[in-house]
Amino acid sequence: MRQLIFAITAFAMLASAPAVAQTVGFAEAIKMLGASCGKDIETYCKSASLANNGITNCLEKNKAKVSAKCNADRVTVLSLIRERLAAQASVAQICSRDSAQYCKGVKEGAGHILRCLLKAQPSVSAKCNTAIDLAGYR
Amino acid sequence: MKTYLLAGLSAAILAVSSVGAAAQTKLNRNEIINSLQGAQQEVDLTADQMQKAAIENIRKYPGANSPHDMPLSAKLATLRQFNVEITFEFDSDRIRPDSYETVGLIADALHTPYLQGQTFVIVGHTDAKGPRQYNLDLSIKRAQAVREALVTTFQVPGQYLFAVGLGEEQLRDPSKPDAAVNRRVQLINLGYK
Repeated sequence: MRQLIFAITAFAMLASAPAVAQTVGFAEAIKMLGASCGKDIETYCKSASLANNGITNCLEKNKAKVSAKCNADRVTVLSLIRERLAAQASVAQICSRDSAQYCKGVKEGAGHILRCLLKAQPSVSAKCNTAIDLAGYR
Repeated sequence: MKTYLLAGLSAAILAVSSVGAAAQTKLNRNEIINSLQGAQQEVDLTADQMQKAAIENIRKYPGANSPHDMPLSAKLATLRQFNVEITFEFDSDRIRPDSYETVGLIADALHTPYLQGQTFVIVGHTDAKGPRQYNLDLSIKRAQAVREALVTTFQVPGQYLFAVGLGEEQLRDPSKPDAAVNRRVQLINLGYK
């Protein structure tokens, strides 16, 4: 029985691991675009650039021709980037009470407050810790 | 019962090893952050001055190769900086898909509170093959392409981000002017403005 419990715990840990990190970094997101759409980009978007959504717009225009995987992933990539940006934009506000409580007198800028919140992790509210995770700031 | 345990264990080992593999990738965000953070409060240098120094160097000392380092090079060497390799289409400012991840990593680093609010210059460099003016122009376009990608696709605040091209005026290895090591994109922290 003990073994079964151990096995279940191991599974539960594995299953819960991805749930914690619900957003991914910009590098990871855009890497997916390169991997899933690289071939289509080289075929249909030879003159488009990464700037100003050039690649995304070009793939959209050629969606009838690009691979199914690229069509699925290019949409995912955009939402991953959006989610990460939104998560980062909301950290300061979500953590404002924790900052005031645990990082009083810590000077703003250059990541000083974040460093303080990371150090105070055991005391910091679950909400703020989650916000830090989602922003990719840990 | 035993099967459950085995299944649980092997899944756990798989998870551990995949984390290990991820940690071994050549370049990561924290490496960029660690090299760039801790800028002097005020750096007495602007992107515009850097660009002018390169243009001036070609005008004053024309020829196939620059006879010496660009003015400002000693000063540049004292600043917090990081070199990355970004591959472009031949003769073009188009970033190749295999370098998207690197641009994303720069975005990851610049979007952390450790670097926010500081001014950065993206500096393009070429090797010494080809005419200097041509190399200068190409490096300017490439640095601008990286800046644009960061500002638009990844929404890095544009007011803190500048693009400069130094062509072949600031070789990384002057003893091997045509070597690939000279082709690079450099990030330099110009501190708080």
